[in-house]
Amino acid sequence: MRKVLGLIGLVLVLVVATYVWELSRTGQSNFLTTNNIGNLLTWVGLFGILSLGQAFVIVTGGIDLSVGSVVGLVGLLTADLLGQSGWSPAAALPVCLGLSILIGLFHGVLITKFRLQPFIVTLCGLFLYRGVARLISGDGSRGLEGNVPAALTWFGSGYVPGTFIPAPFIILLLLGAILGAFLHFTGPGRHLFALGANEEGARFSGIRVHTLKLAAYVICSLMTGIGAILLTFKVGSVTPSTFGNFYELYAIAGAVLGGCSLRGGSGSVAGVLIGATLIVLLRNLVNILHIPSQVEYIVIGGAILVGVIVDELLGERRRKQTRIAPEAQGLETKAAGK
Amino acid sequence: MRTLAAGLLLVMALASCAPAPENAPTGTPEAGGGKTRVALVTNSASDFWTFAHAGALEAAKEFNCDVEYKIPAQGTVQEQQQIVEDLISTGVSGIAISPLDPKNQTEMLNAAAAKVNLVTQDSDAPDSNRACYVGTDNHAAGVEAGKLIKQALPKGGKIMLFVGTLDAQNARDRKQGIEDELKGSGIEVVDTRTDETDRVKAVANVQDAISSYPDLAGLVGLWSYNGPAILTGVRDSGKLGQVQIICFDEESATLQGVKEGQIAGTIVQQPYKFGYESVKLLSQLQKGDTSGVPESKQVFVPVRTITKDNVADFEAELSKLRQAS
Repeated sequence: MRKVLGLIGLVLVLVVATYVWELSRTGQSNFLTTNNIGNLLTWVGLFGILSLGQAFVIVTGGIDLSVGSVVGLVGLLTADLLGQSGWSPAAALPVCLGLSILIGLFHGVLITKFRLQPFIVTLCGLFLYRGVARLISGDGSRGLEGNVPAALTWFGSGYVPGTFIPAPFIILLLLGAILGAFLHFTGPGRHLFALGANEEGARFSGIRVHTLKLAAYVICSLMTGIGAILLTFKVGSVTPSTFGNFYELYAIAGAVLGGCSLRGGSGSVAGVLIGATLIVLLRNLVNILHIPSQVEYIVIGGAILVGVIVDELLGERRRKQTRIAPEAQGLETKAAGK
Repeated sequence: MRTLAAGLLLVMALASCAPAPENAPTGTPEAGGGKTRVALVTNSASDFWTFAHAGALEAAKEFNCDVEYKIPAQGTVQEQQQIVEDLISTGVSGIAISPLDPKNQTEMLNAAAAKVNLVTQDSDAPDSNRACYVGTDNHAAGVEAGKLIKQALPKGGKIMLFVGTLDAQNARDRKQGIEDELKGSGIEVVDTRTDETDRVKAVANVQDAISSYPDLAGLVGLWSYNGPAILTGVRDSGKLGQVQIICFDEESATLQGVKEGQIAGTIVQQPYKFGYESVKLLSQLQKGDTSGVPESKQVFVPVRTITKDNVADFEAELSKLRQAS
């Protein structure tokens, strides 16, 4: 909770500082305009969904490196079926989401039944799905070509009529609410934290570790698939070799900034949503403040590093104050979660 | 057991990355047989290169050679190097390449030129030992774009440029051409934003630009996908009709935008001729015939300006080319 408040504070500080700086320099703000806020929230929605899925896997102590390639493959399929092949959305979208679920199942089975490491399984996935996307498309890009009703692409690029609240942002909030309720307020959700912190212990306490892990990978790939479809609606065209490249890293960065530990066992949906917001905000600020494009990666890399260091230092202080050893503190939060 | 399974998976992953035969269609079904084998190496995946490929295939038929078509997936220098080295070791006689970062690829290009006939296309590497350059004079193309911008913005104003990366010489030259033509015109290029060939980011850059410069009068896309990306970004920011869009190349969304009057115009190159001329040159060079290489070692294919007036005719030409490939 404290972490989430800290993150909200950080976002506010960035927003206010930018606003004041802009006002002092030019007397007007291009940042806090309805146009830019709408634009910002659109990207928060689109990238936040990817981070949300990733968070489920990270909570179990795993990782999904295939997110970018799944975005590429599912995005390509979406554009191909709806645009080129002229399928009806009622037929095409279930196929695209079904493929995402299958990919998640594939990862989950390899990781639980075959006991392969998540890093390796999803690293191979990163290569595989990108390769498949390029192979089936012959490296040609696919566009929606105006074959998709505007009511559908609205979900990726539209706004709630009369407001500057974008549709993808609403979708993110809905998905966040559903997944948050599952993760924080149901038994299986809490068991995910438990198995992430101590898999052996969780197994001995009768938690169905394999089923839950499998579910986490399916949720991650399904969220990625939803994100891919919305991104395709937003951009309208998919280049199989580059669409979604490196998005796994943005997804992971959002989740980690939002307080998910790569060691597993900790994190919160609220934190992840704000973490994803921070990443998008930083990218936006680079452009708005006329900082050269080249500096963007430095800003993002630096910000994540500083965020993690500050988090670690604050955590240290808290642990000292409560005079509980780090390991015991970890167990205590897990016990409290149960 | 675990290692075995991991190994299997890796093999699967690698197999999926290996160039599939479908990706490299040859001029005629019966490959080999002492025929000249040449390769077309692009800088990224784009419809643009599909037309170049069509031209290359046409020339291949005419001059009796086989063409391999290679695309660096991530658009990186390392991939290009790997592709070129692989091609040389499989024994191609000539390579037509679009170098991503010519200045720093000179060594690689020279190493290749020492073993095979090397032609640069689309983006030149004048310091290398390439036999010839086939492509657009990108500075001249930038100047043409500048003229179009002046037409679209008679009262002047702020414009912004969008491109994948500024390391590529063609991007730099186009930018320079535009800036040279716009000197003293009252039109100011306020910034150039790069997206590392990520279409999603290209759209985000456009929307950020519109937020960042509320008085922006024109947006110019230097690479082919930037046109559709600008159109999407401008539309989603609710600015259609209030800003002028000028772009390069002929993606279908770009042409649609020109037809509907949302895009003022686009400067098109003739990639079909790039592919055709490159393969023709490589086939001649293989036979020791250097008559096709001019003194300047540059074969310029002129650009064309496509506006609402001639877009329909241009589209008809393209669909003919697509059928040919």
